[in-house]
Amino acid sequence: MPSLTKQAAADKSTGRHLAYIFETWNRKLHYYVGLYLLLFLWLFAFTGLLLNHPSWAFAEFWANRTVSTYERQIQPSPAGGDLSQARDIMRQLAIDGEIEWTDTNSDASHFDFRVSRPGHIFEIKIYTPQKRATIQRIDFNLWGVARVLHTFTGVRMGDPRNHRDWSLTTMWALSMDGLAAGLILMVLSSVYMWWDLKQKRWLGLLVLGLGLLSCGFFVMGLRWVTHNALG
Amino acid sequence: MSRRFYIITRDLHLYLGLFFAPFVLVFSFSVFFLVHSWIPGVGTQPGVSSFMRKVVVPSNIEALDGRERVDAVRSVLEQIDISGEVGFIRHIPEKHRLVVPVSVPGRETTVAIDLEAQSASIAQRTTGTWDALVTLHKAPGPHLEAIRMNWFPMRLWRGFADATAYLLFFISISGIYLWTVLRSERRVGLSLIAAGAFSFLGIVFALAH
Repeated sequence: MPSLTKQAAADKSTGRHLAYIFETWNRKLHYYVGLYLLLFLWLFAFTGLLLNHPSWAFAEFWANRTVSTYERQIQPSPAGGDLSQARDIMRQLAIDGEIEWTDTNSDASHFDFRVSRPGHIFEIKIYTPQKRATIQRIDFNLWGVARVLHTFTGVRMGDPRNHRDWSLTTMWALSMDGLAAGLILMVLSSVYMWWDLKQKRWLGLLVLGLGLLSCGFFVMGLRWVTHNALG
Repeated sequence: MSRRFYIITRDLHLYLGLFFAPFVLVFSFSVFFLVHSWIPGVGTQPGVSSFMRKVVVPSNIEALDGRERVDAVRSVLEQIDISGEVGFIRHIPEKHRLVVPVSVPGRETTVAIDLEAQSASIAQRTTGTWDALVTLHKAPGPHLEAIRMNWFPMRLWRGFADATAYLLFFISISGIYLWTVLRSERRVGLSLIAAGAFSFLGIVFALAH
């Protein structure tokens, strides 16, 4: 039976080994995640700048759009909800994308909806009695594709009517979640790695503190320093 | 020279990363709310509180437009001690009314100015910290270019938001440099860059074509 001293030394050694494994993998994950997400990060950082600076002329896309309108004969869709009818019409027109409801469609003879995907918008108007569809197709350049990718989620705050209904939109939304989760992981792993560098703790604390103060001022401080009419 | 460059790059990567870490967290956490169109606790915040005050309204305010109207409205807001970013001002000519949304991250105020009665009714709602993250994520954004960033703190935020984006480029490029120094990790790293590029280009191609 090992003595208490030997047992304590063995526990300490196991603890050190586990800490070493954690440190190694924390560091590895920091750059592995960063390298995998590189292009996603660059896209969202760059398009964030584009969205914040709509006057940057080199990235103009709306003025350079191309619009074409055409008509097609369609077969009446089988009875069902708006979504299943829209999907059937899209299948007949060979159009794929995220469905967006733009109208209440209260008139039974008329059925309108929009289909969008990065780079393209299809405004579809269905005239049921005439079995006719009018399609307005809008195409954007590469800058337009990049900008739309930043916000292409299929849902909008305060708009309960529109849901994600295209599998690729769901996949893109999951990619956005993945990038956000990856960035949070990278921030946390970097804080752990920095804390381990004893000679850089104080300057790091000062810098991190300044960052927290600056950011906290916008997130919570502005509410405190401005007048609250509620009292 | 090379050693010095390495040390400077590593320290800048560390300290700039630490300073901007809270900003990166703001943008990252708010992504979940924006992508899933849901903000925790928004429905449970205190309800709208409203009251009315007498104000002096500039006489030509209905004739003004864009940024000039925002500036004129701000003189009214100062009288009722409301500050914040002024959004799209709705003019209802037949009622001689202006409806002015004013936002501070985490709080929304709507000021309805009656131009004939020279009065303002104020409705205010606290939307909370999670909503503040979403507001900050979307600011300044692409809309209302002529009038947005009409409040100094939001102009300051625009600077930080842009700086965060530029910082992400610096951090990722300096991170690549620091990784290339680790020779034993090159093969795994290159495989991950290739896998990331394949995933990214694959999904973007599928979405756009």
